[in-house]
Amino acid sequence: MFKKKIEPLKASEPLKEAEIDMNDPSLFGFQRADDSASEHIAAPKYSYWGSVFRRFFSNKIAVLMLLISLTMVLFAFIQPMISHYDHMVAPNINNSSMHFLKPFTKGFIFGTDNRGNSLFDSLWSGTKNSLIVALSATFFTEFVGIVVGMFWGFSKRMDAIMIEVYNVLSNIPTTLIAMILVYALGGGFKQLIFALCVTTWIGTAYFIRVQVMIIRDREYNLASQCLGTPLWKIILNNILPYLISIIITSVSRDVPAFISYEVALSYMGVGLSERYASLGKLIQQYSPYMLTEPYLFWIPVFASAVISVSLYLVGQALADASDPRTHMI
Amino acid sequence: MRGYILKRILKSCISIFIVVSIVIAMVFTMIPRNKVLESDTSYRKLTGDTRTSFMYSKFEELGYLDYVRLSDMCTNDSDNYKACMVNGSDENLKVISTYEDRGYKIEFQRNGNAFAYHEYNVVELIFHFWKRLIVLDGPNAIQDPNNPDLERRVYIGKDFNDVPAIMCSGCKHKYLVYFDGSFPFIHQNWLSLNFGTSYPTKAGANVLDVIGQGQGSQVVVDTVFPTGVTVASAFDLHTATYKSSIDHLDQNKFDDHYADCYSNYESPSMINTSYIFGIISLILAYAIGIPAGIYMSRKKDKLGDKIGVVFINLITAMPSLALIFFVRSIVVNFGIPDKFPLLGFKDIRSYISPLIILTLLSMPGLMTWIRRYMLDQSNSDYVKFAKAKGLSQREIFSKHILKNAIIPIVNGIPGSIILSIGGAFITESAFAIPGMGKMLPDSITKMNNNMIICLTFIFSSLAIFSVLLGDLLMVVVDPRIQLSAKKGGK
Repeated sequence: MFKKKIEPLKASEPLKEAEIDMNDPSLFGFQRADDSASEHIAAPKYSYWGSVFRRFFSNKIAVLMLLISLTMVLFAFIQPMISHYDHMVAPNINNSSMHFLKPFTKGFIFGTDNRGNSLFDSLWSGTKNSLIVALSATFFTEFVGIVVGMFWGFSKRMDAIMIEVYNVLSNIPTTLIAMILVYALGGGFKQLIFALCVTTWIGTAYFIRVQVMIIRDREYNLASQCLGTPLWKIILNNILPYLISIIITSVSRDVPAFISYEVALSYMGVGLSERYASLGKLIQQYSPYMLTEPYLFWIPVFASAVISVSLYLVGQALADASDPRTHMI
Repeated sequence: MRGYILKRILKSCISIFIVVSIVIAMVFTMIPRNKVLESDTSYRKLTGDTRTSFMYSKFEELGYLDYVRLSDMCTNDSDNYKACMVNGSDENLKVISTYEDRGYKIEFQRNGNAFAYHEYNVVELIFHFWKRLIVLDGPNAIQDPNNPDLERRVYIGKDFNDVPAIMCSGCKHKYLVYFDGSFPFIHQNWLSLNFGTSYPTKAGANVLDVIGQGQGSQVVVDTVFPTGVTVASAFDLHTATYKSSIDHLDQNKFDDHYADCYSNYESPSMINTSYIFGIISLILAYAIGIPAGIYMSRKKDKLGDKIGVVFINLITAMPSLALIFFVRSIVVNFGIPDKFPLLGFKDIRSYISPLIILTLLSMPGLMTWIRRYMLDQSNSDYVKFAKAKGLSQREIFSKHILKNAIIPIVNGIPGSIILSIGGAFITESAFAIPGMGKMLPDSITKMNNNMIICLTFIFSSLAIFSVLLGDLLMVVVDPRIQLSAKKGGK
């Protein structure tokens, strides 16, 4: 087989009929059938992730939110490394001239609190802790939820048991369970993350199960099964790519929800223990100063609102962009 | 259908049983129980043997273990009480070894007196809870040695207002079923739930009384007592319970032994406070959320819809606590208090900002769903047909689409109850509203175990039964839906 590109006729040189002698044998030659050429699809190139990002970056609000959330996340993870803030240490606690400094005085960007600690340092340390809780809770919820949901959607025997478990767990308010679990387990990071995940994963799993059940009996999956593809391969290669947009939607809802849970639980005094700063803990700690020193209270409240709203909007935009149906222009 | 409902109720009960049992197991086994006593001031003042004795009797009261003093051991298991009480005597050692054989742990006080205790394991703890939970009142409930010829009968009599009531002599309560002017108008005392006693907050009080009884100061009015005397008193005579030893003050007012009454209080109980807030906010959320969702679906992709979407996203994404504080700081400018107790139950202004927040928290879910359903329905064939027939847009929306779209919303009402419970924890804490939602975090920080279990029971049964109610409501609204799977054939 020899390969030869078929040169398309150039439209720029219109043929003049008078100049061509159709009987001239030199114009004709034998041509081999070219299989590869007939396979060529003349559609524009399509790359999934390329389209996702093009779509995402065409949304100006989403890009702005991405910048805001990236800045906050980076600050939250890098600033505490520089400041070495420890919530239990208060070096200026006996020096009352350092207490309640207004923002932008003596080099304290956000001022100081009732113990003379820099609010700027405690805020970023708190944001870091809140983010760690929210992100790891989201990770575990999604991971367990997706894995269980995949098999749940396939196995009828598992379905019978899991649906009963779901009926029990989904009816109990998450806040209730989380509060009691944190109470029973103690207020560390692992405990709080466990308490937040333990009821939420089943919601994700149920969500995935329904999607899997919709896709699993499509013809291409039946064909794949007939050809002897193992279950895990069907799940990984045939079904998972379909669920990307759904999973991103779910993640984008989970992260702000977990931040909100952390803030609320810590505010009520049942979240992280006293050793750690967190957004909820700061809000709780500074709420007595809401009227006298408003900056002390409102800065953490604003930070919690800004970070979760921006992460949520980024997630929504990404979920929207990752749906292949939006790629057709 | 009836079979299906019964099955669902049974399943719901099992769910509540499982959840509450797990919580009991966790609370009783995982909380270091010495911490429970830490906040008790009288315990901290005690030293030596009295401290040990106090500790173990408190643990017994809280349901951790079975505590037996030496005197109890001797009265129960020895014929010779005096010999038994002498430390080191044969009788003493014999009694101790019998308790050791029963699985009790023996320890000695500093004065040499032995005491025994048996720690309950998880199964026993759970069993004890469910065994004592339901208390039925009957004519044989009171066994009082001071009053051996107490009449025992249940009869239909008339209460002090000359309203018929089912009354009882020999029961714990005088009135088993009675009517009065407060919601739900018919009340019963025949069946009651016993969740144990509250400790360390409101130590010694029954948990259900703590959250079920009125709050604030007592309402004293001129009351005509059964003997005919009129005294200024706060007693609610319907709650009369048996009192073993009645003094001459009681005899002056009551003609029988039922002289223990609860008082009337001016403010609603914790349960009622939470219900007032929950129900009003739910009604508001539906009254605002559904029309807003419908409006958004009608103006899809126009300005109204876009504003609505921004509103939904903002409220869903923002931490509820931040939302509460933002709303509160805005509302405060209109002369509305930022904490509930500032003006209290009597002033309507105390209710405004918590209600706004509870409504805001449950609205976005409703709006999203009703918008989604309305849009889905408006693409269906019957809508196109109605359009082709020349019906106006308004007519199609209100008469055809809405009726179909409202079905899932009806089913979602209970779901929003669950949500509003979660919102209530935060809102009630932030506004210091004396309700059940604030009680739960409070009792957690104070380590009030029985209260935690009781509140879990209440909240989870509320949530589970509301889901059941939602499914049943859906059948009422939409006759096409059948919950029970039909058996094959025709």
